[in-house]
Amino acid sequence: MKDRSSSDAPFLELRGIHKRFGGVRALSGVDLTIEAGKAYHLLGENGCGKSTVIKIMSGAHAPTEGSIFLDGALIPKLTPMAALEAGIETVYQDLSLLPNLTVAENVALGEQLVAGHGRLLRFLDRQRVHDTAAAALSKVGLDPDRALMNSVVGDLPLAIRQRVAIARAIAAEARLVIMDEPTTSLTRHEVETLIEVVNRLLDSNVAVLFVTHKLEECYRIGGDAIVFRDGLSVAQGPIEGFTRGQLAELMTGRAIESVRYRKGAPEPKVLLTATRLGRSGSFRDISFSLHRGEILGITGLSDSGRNELAMALAGHLPIDAGTISLDDRPVSIGSPSEAIDHGIGYVPEDRLSEGLFIEKSILENSVPLILSRIASRFGLIDRGKGREAAHRIAAEMKLNTADIDLPAGALSGGNQQRVLIGRWLSIDPRLLILHGPTVGVDVGSKETIFRAIQDMADRGIGLLIVSDDLPELLQNCDRILVMNAGRIVEDLRATDVDEDRIYQSMLASQSELAE
Amino acid sequence: MTVVQHMNDPLSDSSGKTAPGRRAPRLFSFLQAHPEAVSLLLLVLICASVAAINPAFLQPSSLIDMGRASVVTGLFALGVFTVLASGGIDVSFPAVGAVAMYGISTLVLNVFPDMPMALIILLCVGVGVLLGAVNGVLVHELRAPALIVTIGTLYVFRGVLLVFVGTVWLMELPPQMVAFGQWSLIDITTSSGVTVSLPVYFLSLPLAGVLTWFVLNRTLMGRAIFAVGGKADVADRLGYNLRAVHVFAFAFAGGLAGMAGAIQASANRMANPFDFAGTEIIVIAAVILGGARITGGTGSVLGTVIGVLLVTVVNNVLVLVGIPSTWQRVVVGAFILLAAAFFVLRDRKTNI
Repeated sequence: MKDRSSSDAPFLELRGIHKRFGGVRALSGVDLTIEAGKAYHLLGENGCGKSTVIKIMSGAHAPTEGSIFLDGALIPKLTPMAALEAGIETVYQDLSLLPNLTVAENVALGEQLVAGHGRLLRFLDRQRVHDTAAAALSKVGLDPDRALMNSVVGDLPLAIRQRVAIARAIAAEARLVIMDEPTTSLTRHEVETLIEVVNRLLDSNVAVLFVTHKLEECYRIGGDAIVFRDGLSVAQGPIEGFTRGQLAELMTGRAIESVRYRKGAPEPKVLLTATRLGRSGSFRDISFSLHRGEILGITGLSDSGRNELAMALAGHLPIDAGTISLDDRPVSIGSPSEAIDHGIGYVPEDRLSEGLFIEKSILENSVPLILSRIASRFGLIDRGKGREAAHRIAAEMKLNTADIDLPAGALSGGNQQRVLIGRWLSIDPRLLILHGPTVGVDVGSKETIFRAIQDMADRGIGLLIVSDDLPELLQNCDRILVMNAGRIVEDLRATDVDEDRIYQSMLASQSELAE
Repeated sequence: MTVVQHMNDPLSDSSGKTAPGRRAPRLFSFLQAHPEAVSLLLLVLICASVAAINPAFLQPSSLIDMGRASVVTGLFALGVFTVLASGGIDVSFPAVGAVAMYGISTLVLNVFPDMPMALIILLCVGVGVLLGAVNGVLVHELRAPALIVTIGTLYVFRGVLLVFVGTVWLMELPPQMVAFGQWSLIDITTSSGVTVSLPVYFLSLPLAGVLTWFVLNRTLMGRAIFAVGGKADVADRLGYNLRAVHVFAFAFAGGLAGMAGAIQASANRMANPFDFAGTEIIVIAAVILGGARITGGTGSVLGTVIGVLLVTVVNNVLVLVGIPSTWQRVVVGAFILLAAAFFVLRDRKTNI
């Protein structure tokens, strides 16, 4: 393995990489160079193509166009096995551990697999599994005693699992370790340990590529920043050469365009009051209120509890503690249908799997909530009334087609989302919870969705937007609640803050919050 | 280091909080790690009560009956367990066993009457491996649920056998097969003067058990089977060859089913092309009672054997204590519901 590093060429080079998923462009012409023993930080907003590019490096995705070079040699097809054999190891955000196998097996089986070029019909070298695992675990600061080695990974706490995943990555002779948001769920002390591990890797001439949001840690580790935006690498250079502000601007590209869609103002009457809501393992002590006609944003990292809070308010997850009242009357929201009875609508983040019947027509996707209203006394559906309702939704949401018999799958992402939001208008909701309303939606569609959101607020509907798209929240909301580690840490007026300010409280660690 | 100490006893802080007392969580966590212990307990309880009511149960002759009765179910179950561990399921094994048994018996009778027994067994296993591999390839290439695919092949294999090979029972098997079926390991003469013998073919069950254990625990393929059964997309990302795992697991199960076919014919001194029909559920029940999750990635060979013994005992000994045979279904069903309730509880605990 060692002889390959002797040439002068960089370890890994991507040139002109394009990647399309169906009609969606994820990467449009990325150039990227990784040299041995250097640290890299891949920065960018969600959906900018970061995860696609690391999947291409690890062979999980094949590029649609472009070339990959390893030690200067063109690799026509980089398979997962070829990437592993070349020493490219990835610690995915989900850690990619096998929950039913032991720690030792998780750490060391991959190395045996690679040593046998993926052939499985071989005896297991148990001594070597043990030795490899023990060595790798010590390198990440875990004590490789019997109890740990034989523990089933699914039973371990997250911080340990994280280090087990890194141990697996370095168990084989790694030359590039890619870490996808490795520190998101770690405490400060654990982050320090991780940085030590990384420095040791760099010293032994292994390249490390971080995909992260945490600029503070990037500056501490040093190396090159690579900034992605809309599927393109827009800047690369030593991270010390960029200020935080410059990086943020490069990532968002939005220093110029900051139209504020929010023109109206909330009504004086309070619509929703949440008091000390809690759900074990997700969020606690959540209190806030929402006025009629108000647009409230909720943001935070993906593990901050914001997703669970949204689902709990919509009856998709039970709460353990606290009370919710709507229009001054306490309500219980134990199930989605109860939520609907109270006039609470929920548009899920993943519209393909959770919301839309993709093969069914726009008509059928528009009416599921009002079936009882368009049904006759004997339970038969009055198709005429259904069509009427669907046409009204199509018009109100400004769909780009009037043909309500078209399957929903034929629509663009933005139009699909408008069908989903429009569906709720048919029940005259009091409160609408939008979960990531513009995820995977193109810029033009974003605007129509934003306008529809504003129209609804002007009609007196209370809106809750749960999103990590900060510009979207700043453009649309009256107030923004920031969640961190299961709690609301800030309640900000959207006109008084900027992205930087929100990022800071999203990313603040536990200890900083206590201060 | 503090973190490591913390995890040495992971249950002290998680389940200690939810369960009252100290012994209960420890027992629960033991059962969580060894669900087959529940089945073992049931097995011991049943045997003890049957022995108390009817001591005849403990006589060697009835134990030998039990052993003989468990061979075919056991071979099938080891195969099903392997497939289940890889995250799939196989319900086509009765047809695979029947094709191997009837097809090879027909071949021997009509073409090679002098074929040595070892070769007959080998051919049966070979036919099983081949049909199993077909299952594996179909499951992998169609990316369809294994249940659907193997329901399909269950019908296709059996149908092809009946259409192209024959539908008549073969009542006169070649002498070497009959001899193999009667080849005795131990002969025991009971007080009533009847001779009961433990046949040599009984050894195929422990041998297959050891082989399965070895493959699953001492080869990379075995660990890959569990890896894929645990989380297929992750295993794929880590470089495990899913196609190889699928084909191997189903072919292995097919081979064991072929072996079961050879033994069934020899033991019964006849080959019936309709044989094994309806055994799929009881075999899967045995594997589940042995602690394997239907969702894959768990279970053990020992557990599977315990599950097979439990099912065999229930099917054979309840009669000894005067429980009508019609009640066997109720008992097996109740056990499975018990196991299901326990597994749900186990998963809920784990998810907290």
